[in-house]
Amino acid sequence: MIPILFFFFAAVAIASGIMMIVHRNPIYCALFLILTLFAVAGLYVLLNAPFIAAVHIIVYAGAIMVLFLFVIMLLDLKSETSRQRPGGLPRILSIIMSGVLLAELVLFLRSGTANLPLVEGDLIIGSTKEIGNLLFTEYLFPFEITSVLLLSSIIGSVILARLKLK
Amino acid sequence: MNPSEIIQNNINSLSYFLPELILTGMIVVLIIADLLLKKENSAWTSLLALGGLVIAFVAVLNQYDLGSRSIFNDMLAVDPFALYFKLLFLTSAAFVVLLSIGSVELAGRPVGEYFTLMTALTLGLFLMASATNLITIFISIEFVSVTSFILATYLKTRRRSSEAGLKYTIYGAFSSGLMLYGISILYGLTGTLDIYEIGTKLAASSANSLALLISIILMLAGFGYKLAAVPFHFWAPDVYEGAPTPITAFFSVGPKAAGFALLIRFFNVAFATEATNGEWAAIAGVNWSQLLAVVAAATMTLGNLVAIVQKNVKRLLAYSSIAHAGYALMGVVLLSDQGVYATLFYLVVYYLMNIGAFLVVIVVQDLVGSESIDDYKGLIWRAPLPAIAMGVFLFSLTGLPPTAGFIGKFYLFAALIKGGPGFYWLAVVAIINSVISLYYYARILKAMYFDQQDEKEPASLAVSPYYVVLLIALVVPTIFLGVYWAPLADLANYSVEFLRAL
Amino acid sequence: MEIPISYYLLLSGILFTIGVVGVLTRRNAIVVFMSIELMLNAVNLTLVAFSKQFNSLDGQIFVFFVMVVAAAEVAVGLALIVAIFRLKQTVSIDKINIMKW
Repeated sequence: MIPILFFFFAAVAIASGIMMIVHRNPIYCALFLILTLFAVAGLYVLLNAPFIAAVHIIVYAGAIMVLFLFVIMLLDLKSETSRQRPGGLPRILSIIMSGVLLAELVLFLRSGTANLPLVEGDLIIGSTKEIGNLLFTEYLFPFEITSVLLLSSIIGSVILARLKLK
Repeated sequence: MNPSEIIQNNINSLSYFLPELILTGMIVVLIIADLLLKKENSAWTSLLALGGLVIAFVAVLNQYDLGSRSIFNDMLAVDPFALYFKLLFLTSAAFVVLLSIGSVELAGRPVGEYFTLMTALTLGLFLMASATNLITIFISIEFVSVTSFILATYLKTRRRSSEAGLKYTIYGAFSSGLMLYGISILYGLTGTLDIYEIGTKLAASSANSLALLISIILMLAGFGYKLAAVPFHFWAPDVYEGAPTPITAFFSVGPKAAGFALLIRFFNVAFATEATNGEWAAIAGVNWSQLLAVVAAATMTLGNLVAIVQKNVKRLLAYSSIAHAGYALMGVVLLSDQGVYATLFYLVVYYLMNIGAFLVVIVVQDLVGSESIDDYKGLIWRAPLPAIAMGVFLFSLTGLPPTAGFIGKFYLFAALIKGGPGFYWLAVVAIINSVISLYYYARILKAMYFDQQDEKEPASLAVSPYYVVLLIALVVPTIFLGVYWAPLADLANYSVEFLRAL
Repeated sequence: MEIPISYYLLLSGILFTIGVVGVLTRRNAIVVFMSIELMLNAVNLTLVAFSKQFNSLDGQIFVFFVMVVAAAEVAVGLALIVAIFRLKQTVSIDKINIMKW
């Protein structure tokens, strides 16, 4: 059962990822990205990370992507869709670069993971309780400091997006 | 460790975290103060911010008695190395607050949020200088990035500023994505997020060197972005030109120095082993110091060559600051205490002369309303003091005696020569680059001192006493450190010591 | 049957590359940001996969922080795009790049 699920999610993630970067209409791009995110969340469940999977859907699909869609609709970006895409050198160059990158990745993944240590012991599952325990003990400091980061970005977003100066 | 010990560790760490707590408190105080103050009184927030920086400065000085230790369950390190950078960040932030108070560009903009974000940016720089865990490293870099994006775009109704901000944000998010991928590979190779453990594990096992190399290159994207090192420098000229000039001055000093702090700590702890006293060896399989040397050479060469053709002084200084990041990198590639020491010394010198040069740009901008070199013509007759001050800063940036810049470069070259013949080629590249830089710095000098001014310009320009005081406050140390540099050298020498193992 | 960890890593490499291609080829600033999100997702997948491999939760905690920071970055980035759109009526990167060398 697990292999079937893995290949299903993987196929969905890759297909909708590709659709996202080739589709001209930004709304469809956003929707395809959401599909990718759901597929990735499914993979998290297969990897014993149910909490991360849930947060992933809530934060990404529920908040970040809604924000994207909201901005796309607010700005009414449909008119952009008929614009010509860049042809020629930069595009070819970037595709070549990406091909090289992918080749590198495949190369090192094939050679690099063969001798990874597999840690024995009781299986740890990333449940809410386990993650919460870690977040509020060992990782309390980064947890708290991100609150200041979020505060700054809220202030920043407000000053950037508001219409009039004070 | 059991949970109660970990919690106790967190609580105990708070007393070693006082400067950062003060800054965090100041962020909140500034937001509330801005809310309560009437608009015409909002200038008070600048003084509040300044006060916060001064209190934090005192708190940092007090930390010198504490010695080196790791806090918050090995998330951060408190050591002389970090304290040195914290002092640098606080003083440069204070200068930038003072620059912002007088700036015409910022007049009429909301200032409360501006100083709140400045304080937040300083907090982020503090974290970058002391982070010792991949999570805190990532968060501190993003902290600095996000606040920088907002500050660069602060003049959002001006086209240049908002475009620079977008470019900055896209490059920043892209390079942090690349860095994260590098971090995830590193986690995969070692199975831990703690840089000390990564160091011991990489030294003990022969990890796949190709994967490690890819991971290091990807992570260099994130660090290089902060340093504005080639090939991750594309954002710098546009952002430096488009951002409000006080912020440009801060960007060219604060995040750059923080990038160096992080780079030195991370690479020396995680990817190097101490061989003999004061010298290290890069871990087997990946010769990253050669990689950094190439980056340094490319950075200084590109910065200097492109600076030659610039017509806008702010943009010229942007390229010159790219070149100076290349010089400062020379100390890092040596893998020795002496190299790090030279870099530390150079960063302070660079910060004084660079903020000074940007201050002159602000003064001239206020007086003439332009940043073009043509408008600097005959400045010596119209406004003698800024012209003379600019002369001192440019001499120092070139590295001519008797200025601080000469001593800074001297230490770098001395360290390079002492490091052995392996890096002589880098010294040669740096000397050629210094000669190139002389050419374009001299162009500004020529315009200021020897060119005739246009007739339509007023004969003399009145510089406000506030700027006069600030100019003198920056010129004096730039010359003083060129004559008597022992105190700063001692401090830098003491600060080379950082927490190397738990 | 268990799926070997390298399958997940390969998948994440592919997703990461798709994201990089998107950033390099698309001209719409919003889609560029979406491509960056895809890159971050690929990173998260790697971290969770390694987390399972090492039977530790460190990687999953890291993913948690990546999400928080990504949210902050997106909020600022989109606010910036709104501000630029008000100024220029476009979000195309080509038309925004007035500043060259």
